[in-house]
Amino acid sequence: MRYILSILLLLTLLTVTTTADAGYRDIFGKEFLTKPWAGGLVEESVCIECHTSDIIKPEFRDIPQEWKKSWHYHNDVSCENCHGGDPEDAEMAMSPERGFIGTPKYSEVPEVCGKCHIGILKNYLESGHGKALKASKTGPNCVTCHGSHNIQKASIKIINESRCSKCHSYERAKIMKQALFLTEKKIREIDNDLKKLRSEGVFTDEEDRSLFRTHVEYRTLFHTVNVGLVKKSTDKFAKKLGLIEEKIDKTFKELEFRKNFSAFLMMVFAGLGIVIFLLARTYKD
Amino acid sequence: MWQRIKNGLEVRIGLEDLINTKLKNYTVPRNTNIFYTLGGVALVAFIIQAISGFFLLIYYVPHSEHAFRSVQYIMTVAPFGWLFRLMHVVGSNLLVAVIFLHMLSVFFMGSYKKPRELTWIVGWLMLLVTLTFCLSGYLLPWSQLSYWTTTVVTAMPTAFPYVGDYIANLLRGGEFVSGITLNRFFALHVAFLPPLLVGLMVIHVFLIRRIGLSSPPFDESAEEARPWTEYRHVSYPNGNSFYPYFVLKELYMVALYLVVMFFVITFLPTLFLPEASNIPANPLRTPAYIKPQWYFLAPYQMLKLIPNKFLGISMQIALIGTFLLWPFFDTKKERNILKRPLLLATFTASLLLWVVLTMWGRSS
Repeated sequence: MRYILSILLLLTLLTVTTTADAGYRDIFGKEFLTKPWAGGLVEESVCIECHTSDIIKPEFRDIPQEWKKSWHYHNDVSCENCHGGDPEDAEMAMSPERGFIGTPKYSEVPEVCGKCHIGILKNYLESGHGKALKASKTGPNCVTCHGSHNIQKASIKIINESRCSKCHSYERAKIMKQALFLTEKKIREIDNDLKKLRSEGVFTDEEDRSLFRTHVEYRTLFHTVNVGLVKKSTDKFAKKLGLIEEKIDKTFKELEFRKNFSAFLMMVFAGLGIVIFLLARTYKD
Repeated sequence: MWQRIKNGLEVRIGLEDLINTKLKNYTVPRNTNIFYTLGGVALVAFIIQAISGFFLLIYYVPHSEHAFRSVQYIMTVAPFGWLFRLMHVVGSNLLVAVIFLHMLSVFFMGSYKKPRELTWIVGWLMLLVTLTFCLSGYLLPWSQLSYWTTTVVTAMPTAFPYVGDYIANLLRGGEFVSGITLNRFFALHVAFLPPLLVGLMVIHVFLIRRIGLSSPPFDESAEEARPWTEYRHVSYPNGNSFYPYFVLKELYMVALYLVVMFFVITFLPTLFLPEASNIPANPLRTPAYIKPQWYFLAPYQMLKLIPNKFLGISMQIALIGTFLLWPFFDTKKERNILKRPLLLATFTASLLLWVVLTMWGRSS
């Protein structure tokens, strides 16, 4: 009887399966197990759709891939943030009415980047680099040093002989790199410590923000290309970074305490277990 | 002082008689093994979850705007909040492992057979309630991990035709996982499931005490072989006293459970808290790699492998139903699984399949 019941149960399920409407399966397949899990919430923009299809010129098809490797991608900065337009409406995506500017003119690049990097724009425009661009329209702009779509997290490595000597001798740039070196090293160390803390399950949002703010302020200053000013400000930044370091050290100590405390509890229960085990044996005897 | 309290209780409730009848004279089979203690260990584990959960509840804010921050407050500012949270997180995983082991040993020793069918069913219901506890608790920290895992799991009912969407929407309180889902899961976790579980626990313990503990099937002389045509309490006149023998055995297994728990907290504190659990929920960003908890990996992988999702989910429900009602399918009197090669082979194959699917789900 029980076998018949089991077979009947399975048969019923199979019958329902084969006669069920196919539509919901597709919806489920889309919503579950394959991306995107959140349905319409994370649909790709129409910019990506076109720029990965055959309708676009081959030289523009690599752009989405390059962007996906960039620091901008990791920080939710998308096509429309720089180029304007409407990423949700295919017909109006490239309409000037929706703010589409396409590829900005060479001399307008700093204005485009400066929409977000406000402080850097100000210092850049006051610097030799900015003045050169203004005067000749061909001086270095943001893209000259940072690239365009595959923009990586900026580091001191950007200042190098091959890049700088395209326009001028490396000597002054080298002095600037030396002035930046210690502070940049400290920033890198703190960044690594924060990564370590995150890997140990600590939420470092506040410290991340402090470091980010200090870092941005420092980088902004650097865009003046004024070695004297950078050297003068180094102590101020060292103090700010020191405060973050202090907090990090405190957290590391706290983690050490937690480890010791739970290890102590583990030993207590291990000891207790052994005592009970021996006591149980005594009773048996 | 102590003697006065004892005397006071003796006069009022007959303390000594209670201890003698319920603990000292209550006997268990002489050959009980450590697997017999797993039920008791699970009970203590539940109590630890309740106590640690209570402390978390003091600081936790069940609102999508504040939930993540409140959990971080517990981890960094609240005195020993980190300890209670880690105990709760690690404890929930260990608890599921203990229940799995308990059920496996009950199955292996054929302890679900007549007259203990009800005990088995109630135990299974308790496992389902525990898994619902885990699922609802998982969303509460409102992290990327909890948000997206809940998105995946609450999408599962959509495999059903006609009512699937309704069930999913009912769980989520809308099209997507949102603050409403958080409120629903929170209410489920702290108000609905605890009394339900306690109720089932009371019935489970009552049934065990009323019927009597089963003996391991490998020693046939231990339990009376008389046919079960009317109620009788299974007793073991030559057995060991529940107290102190069995209680001490239980206690050192509880100590072992706590050692394992604190070992994980000391040396592997992020074992159940990967990086995505430390990032606030962001409905606009799907994490690249996210997986359900280890105990849901096998059904998750099974669903991935079966092309027809409705068939996949129906098979899982059929499997749950089969295991739930297993004592009524397997009515053979022989309790020793070693004497039933077909059942032993099926049992081993199912267990291996579960392990393989879990490993596969983890690595794929």
